[in-house]
Amino acid sequence: MRSGRAGTLPAAIGALCRALPLESRPAPETFRLAKFDRPQAVRVGGAVVHRMPHPSPLSGLAVCTQIRFVKSVLWYHGYGRPEFYQLPSDGSVGSRELLLAFSWLLNRINLLEQLLIANRVKIGDETSVCTVSRFFCLFSPLSQFEVDVRYLQWLNGRLRFQWRNLHVDHQEQCKLFHKIHSYTVGCHIDHTIGHFSVTEVDLVRQPHSYKQLLQLLESETSRLEAFLEWKQLEPVYWHWMVMNQPNIKDVKSEERELPDEREFCAAVRTITEAVELKLSDLKYHCAHKKNGMHGPYRLVFKDKRSEPAINVVHATEVISELRMQEAKLGRQLKRLQEECRHKLDQIAEGLAGVICIPPTKR
Amino acid sequence: MLPAACAHRVVSILSQALEDCAEKKKKLEDNLALCRALLGDWKVQTPESPKPECDPAGDQVSEPSAKELEELELLNRALEKALRVRKSTLQSPLGALGAAGGEKAAEKKPATSIARTQRAPCSKESIPKTIKVTSVSKKAAFSKKFPTYMLKAPYRTDPVKAPTHQSSRAPKMTGEASTKQVRKTAPATSLCQEVFCAVAEPSGSPRSLPCEQQSSSSFGGSASGKNPVAADPENDCPGSSTESPMTQSQKAGDFLVGSTTARTFTLQEKGSLLKLPLPYRKAYTRNSRLWEKCRLCQSSSATAAVRNHFLERMQASFCSSAPALSPAEIEEEVMVLHDTHSFLSQCMESETTGHPTWEREYESLLTLEGLRDMASQCLLKLQQLHAAAESQVRLRPSDCTHSTRTSLEDCTSFRGRRCGATPLLFYSSVQELREMTSLKLQVAMLHQQIHIQKVLVAELLPVVESRLPQDESPSHLYRAVYTQLCEGGERFPVLVNDELPD
Repeated sequence: MRSGRAGTLPAAIGALCRALPLESRPAPETFRLAKFDRPQAVRVGGAVVHRMPHPSPLSGLAVCTQIRFVKSVLWYHGYGRPEFYQLPSDGSVGSRELLLAFSWLLNRINLLEQLLIANRVKIGDETSVCTVSRFFCLFSPLSQFEVDVRYLQWLNGRLRFQWRNLHVDHQEQCKLFHKIHSYTVGCHIDHTIGHFSVTEVDLVRQPHSYKQLLQLLESETSRLEAFLEWKQLEPVYWHWMVMNQPNIKDVKSEERELPDEREFCAAVRTITEAVELKLSDLKYHCAHKKNGMHGPYRLVFKDKRSEPAINVVHATEVISELRMQEAKLGRQLKRLQEECRHKLDQIAEGLAGVICIPPTKR
Repeated sequence: MLPAACAHRVVSILSQALEDCAEKKKKLEDNLALCRALLGDWKVQTPESPKPECDPAGDQVSEPSAKELEELELLNRALEKALRVRKSTLQSPLGALGAAGGEKAAEKKPATSIARTQRAPCSKESIPKTIKVTSVSKKAAFSKKFPTYMLKAPYRTDPVKAPTHQSSRAPKMTGEASTKQVRKTAPATSLCQEVFCAVAEPSGSPRSLPCEQQSSSSFGGSASGKNPVAADPENDCPGSSTESPMTQSQKAGDFLVGSTTARTFTLQEKGSLLKLPLPYRKAYTRNSRLWEKCRLCQSSSATAAVRNHFLERMQASFCSSAPALSPAEIEEEVMVLHDTHSFLSQCMESETTGHPTWEREYESLLTLEGLRDMASQCLLKLQQLHAAAESQVRLRPSDCTHSTRTSLEDCTSFRGRRCGATPLLFYSSVQELREMTSLKLQVAMLHQQIHIQKVLVAELLPVVESRLPQDESPSHLYRAVYTQLCEGGERFPVLVNDELPD
């Protein structure tokens, strides 16, 4: 260990720990202990790793489940150390591997930043802009019963009704938001925002109910400070980690992955690059701007078009994007329905003695 | 009737959709309730005096001192005298008085010169007791009760003299002046002026007079809510809100409050006067400053170098048979492909519109060819990603069975999530906001419908195909499936028996 840096390593680790969310914050000492493969460090290392941006209620679960989860997460991100995956699930050994894994994740996906963003305190009226929607259905265990098809129709009807309700409620919320925003114009200390959100107005009305919010805000602030400190001291940590890495034998190319896979990923990458190049070409040609709008946004009412600010998206952009999406999806749905109609017509022809008259198109 | 397995899947997916909807609705309802509460009247907190509408604050001085009572009694008597004089003169000096009263209250309002000149002598003569009264205590809470309770029963006239033209303050302050009298500026008797100045002065001062609130109860309070309690925002000190409920929460910091009691606070009227509590303001500014710093924070190249070095060494120790693309990368690539696909379809659509000239047509032909090439490359990539995903499943260590994706509809991708404060979305009108929200919902609903449609098709069509030819009365099942799959459950086909009567 370089003597000049010896003093700053604890500071770096300390900053790292303080930048982590409170619930999963290890004591800095565990880092040092982890090196020596002590059991108690294992648990803590696992606790840190499992606090991913995908919040998962793991804290109550057994160690083995936690460790399994940690392994899944690392596998998901492409961690490939076999020794890590071979760790026993009882958490008796392996803190060193966990330390390596944790550091790898920290490095690879900017874990600290992701945690800070994921745990941001929500004060504004937020809406999310997302052009990808994933609708998953987790199937429960099979049931034994037959079901009348009318039950399906009923469920579907209910669903449509719920959507309509939701729509009405959302519209109402828009109106109320707008009112609150416009009535409080000029109050906010941040002039870019200019007005209060619902939470902020309520904060004025009942300050005593929001003590926790204030605490969260302050804790976030201290984490941000720790993060900035960490950014300064990072190199020390990484040097230390490199020292801690197990001695890697020089792996010869025959022992590495199958040549097919190597070529495969090289090919994929070339294609990606080529496609992107073409895309950018075409983009330039078509003068089309691709938006990278994702994630939550704070709603801000601004009736005068002000100078363009950084990090700001306008509702009009979102609207045009959504319109295109809506049209596209609508067409897709119609296509699916048409296919079904076609198939069912064919079936109907096979029915003896019956003619099917499709409903009149409106 | 549908077979169990097929039915089960279909029912699950619909039930899941319903649950999602219900969850969203619940969250929304909580928020709506809060919004409505904020837009309605903010209730005054339970007062200590028997008359809730008169008493604004519970944390004021509990008992007026004897001295204060005495002074107030003096003032009362002065008022009585003045009113007797008024009745006798009938030429109401109230106009001037009203003006005077109003004048004191709001510095901004234009005062009549008469009022001004009258005020000067007034203040001098203005018995020390007045001043004493006003200097009783200097709480932040500003009370407008003072004029009200001063005007006890005999003086109180119809309070509902509508505040007409210029100063609504005027009639309210005195409680008697009809607006029409404001025109009159007949010289008042000195006594009247004196008295009313005395009245006007303390009432106009933006200092608090807590004593009278309690006195109100002891004096059998006059204006039970009807009189001047009508808060005029102009009467208050600039920047203060006339809303009493806030006085209680002094810990809320420097939120200046008036205590007009009978009226409750509404956001509509006073919203722009609100201020955030001090601790929160401090925390917020620190917080946003730090986020900004984090956003601008860049790693030095030395740091990046050592980080990469670590990663490379780690990579070298990875299992040689591990797949080249991690699940996260596969997902990322799939999303890129998805976006590419939308982009391509868009371009394609724009190219297939009519072409007036042959140049244009040729150009669009070439573009379409380019697009086709891109599409086939994307297909190739997709196949490779598919293979990668399969090898992932094959090679996955035995205890990595947990799915790491937990949220159903949120976008959990890390794309474009830069470290920084929550980005802002500007909207310029309520219509815009509503349109955006409605479109968002529509898109989400369509996504869901498409997904459900696919599942239904996969499950229901085989059933229909297998059953119907043998079925005796196919209409039931057929119509149900038809309407579900082809019409979104909205319209039904008609089945007609094709039997011609012989």
